[in-house]
Amino acid sequence: MTATTTGHADDHDLPPGVPTAPRAGRTGGRDLDEPTLVVRAQEGDLRAFEVLARRHQAALYRLAVRVLDNRDDAEDALQDALLDAWRRIGRFRGEASFSTWMYRIVTNRCLGLLRRRGPALPVAEMAEMVEVAEAGTGIVPMPARRPSPEDAAELDAGLVALRAALADLPTQQRVCFILRELEGLGYAEIAQITGAGEQAVRGRIHRARTRLAEVMRPWR
Amino acid sequence: MAVTPKPEVEPTGRPVEPLPCGRDAARVWDHAAAGRLDAHELGCPHCTTAVADARGLLRLVRPMAIEPMVPPPSLLQRVVGAVLIERSGRDELTLQSPHGPASLSRVAAAAVLRHVVDGMDGVRARSCRIGQPEPGAVHVAMTVTARFGTDLVAVAARLRRLVIAAGEQVLGLSVRRMDIEVVDVFDVPEPGVVR
Repeated sequence: MTATTTGHADDHDLPPGVPTAPRAGRTGGRDLDEPTLVVRAQEGDLRAFEVLARRHQAALYRLAVRVLDNRDDAEDALQDALLDAWRRIGRFRGEASFSTWMYRIVTNRCLGLLRRRGPALPVAEMAEMVEVAEAGTGIVPMPARRPSPEDAAELDAGLVALRAALADLPTQQRVCFILRELEGLGYAEIAQITGAGEQAVRGRIHRARTRLAEVMRPWR
Repeated sequence: MAVTPKPEVEPTGRPVEPLPCGRDAARVWDHAAAGRLDAHELGCPHCTTAVADARGLLRLVRPMAIEPMVPPPSLLQRVVGAVLIERSGRDELTLQSPHGPASLSRVAAAAVLRHVVDGMDGVRARSCRIGQPEPGAVHVAMTVTARFGTDLVAVAARLRRLVIAAGEQVLGLSVRRMDIEVVDVFDVPEPGVVR
């Protein structure tokens, strides 16, 4: 809907005063719809951007932690991604949803970090873990990323092993699997986020699923 | 937190991993995850193996999906702090002052005018662009959204008066021109109204 009214200021009488307790203002913009917040942020309204970031930061942080398998790196990646988003929000045209756009920025940041980090965890360690499990020894397998005592206290062995197996997947498979199975996104949205075709995304997710199903069979 | 994938349109592309029965293992997996297995998938030995794999892995994945994970509050504060440093002293409006020229951030001025509009019942400011034809004077172009059923003509007239008043009384700027465009409607009920 569009209704336009244009006029010169001289045409109108001034009211006695200006409201001091605005309705939407009382909530700091938290009740505003997303297109409104995006437009405001595009015009430099940092408060509007902060509301948007606050709405999406938990999901973005989960994605970064799972892709990077490290909370400190995830914080760095999310912080840089939010700054990127602020600097580039003027170019956001709304072809995808704001959350898809943000997921894409965070994903690219994480992939950049992983590239700089160098080769992933040794595959041999995962093979050893599977062999131990398959031997039916009852020994809790050693995950590729060794759990801290805090991890061990909080997570059961299956969860620790799953994290290790996830960390050992090829990066693109891991990203697609996380977006699908842990964030609950559809194939089309994952394709937009990763820049891959939908068929390629389906393939990556299926390969990740079958690999994880195989590695995790002893814990089922 | 979403753990159940959104409903999908059935893919039309080539199968990812054809099973001996002709079905696509990837699609069978999706059906198992969504709890939408058909009669064939429930009875076929090839499909039931894929379903068992899917269910077994999903049982392990679900606890991971619901792990609480929230970034520290300091993260967003750091982002906001960095932005404030980055943009300080840029894009300012010039005010008329008997003591010489003074300036005001264009972004801050727009925020004040939006704040005024947000205070009106049934209207929310979206865009607020401020042009300055000469020092001390501005042109304002606003887009707003309005509650469904709002009298747009009356609201636009009141909104114009308020913005002009705010420009002069709060910002010290003479609003020479004020354009308003209603670009969307919303359906949030009025405060205190029970439906």
